[in-house]
Amino acid sequence: MHEVGIISSMLKKIERIMEQEELTHVEKIVIEVGELSGVVPHYMEECYPAAVYKTRFAETKLEMITIPGILRCDECGMEFNGYQHDLCCPACGNRQKHTPLTGRELLIKEIVGY
Amino acid sequence: MDPIRIIEVKESVFADNDRQAEALRGQLRGERTFLMNLMSSPGSGKTTTLLRTIEQLRDELRIGVMEADIDSAVDAETIGATGIRSVQLHTGGMCHLDAEMTRQGLAAIGTEDLDLVILENVGNLVCPAEFDTGAVKNVMILSVPEGHDKPLKYPLIFTVCDALIINKIDVLPYFDFDMEKVVEYARMRNPKLEIFPISAKTGEGVSAWTDWLKQQVKAWNDPA
Repeated sequence: MHEVGIISSMLKKIERIMEQEELTHVEKIVIEVGELSGVVPHYMEECYPAAVYKTRFAETKLEMITIPGILRCDECGMEFNGYQHDLCCPACGNRQKHTPLTGRELLIKEIVGY
Repeated sequence: MDPIRIIEVKESVFADNDRQAEALRGQLRGERTFLMNLMSSPGSGKTTTLLRTIEQLRDELRIGVMEADIDSAVDAETIGATGIRSVQLHTGGMCHLDAEMTRQGLAAIGTEDLDLVILENVGNLVCPAEFDTGAVKNVMILSVPEGHDKPLKYPLIFTVCDALIINKIDVLPYFDFDMEKVVEYARMRNPKLEIFPISAKTGEGVSAWTDWLKQQVKAWNDPA
């Protein structure tokens, strides 16, 4: 449900880019999905065909690049994957204060078309 | 056929919506209208809390309400019965409101002579948190029966909100709801979060909440 809303928002943006760039057809959309962005890549893949069904994007491929969700622990300085460790520092057990380094983004990286 | 091109975009999926939300805030600033976005799960007591809030503030502020729902006009009718100006927005199956839908709603309700517009977002703790509506402040309601672990399960909404109303405190004796824990978990996500435990049913705690809201509205509409 959440992912469908995000996909339709993304497609609206792509339609605007198509107009600007005078594209008639998009073959592929490449997005970067951070592990801490709140979007589950697997759900995104599952929802995508339904979101584009019977639209101009029905034949458009979606390529996802996953960006690891790295946090730095404010207590001990350890850098760790927050997604794998459930937002808890594996070195000192601190779950409260971390500085996010990467993995919060949800970007349209590029589109391929003519 | 034209040659295939690769177009670098490198922009957030939310960038367009964020820009539109920012423009909307600018417009509201000019009109001296405060937009509050109210989010929660279904059944947390949003409409009852709204009725209490209206009751406390209607003598001092000119209030309008926008009810967003996937379908039906039940909530708008309840609010309409108070004599407060309200509009019903249908999201057409979407699980959240974005800045464009909010802009249309504001145009429909007419904001120039209103001090405070409350947007009752779709009942959902996930999607509404992702989309900036253009509101000046975001507020969420968590009700006691939902449990104190929600800040752990739905972290984003606690991060984007300015205030958390904990509703239905009149039923605390019947639930394993740990007030200290919920405050701890919520502040873990957002140290600046204002927290108001209330019972919209009995009225307990409501004035602390409405005092805060009134202050926010005044600060926005009449900047020193």
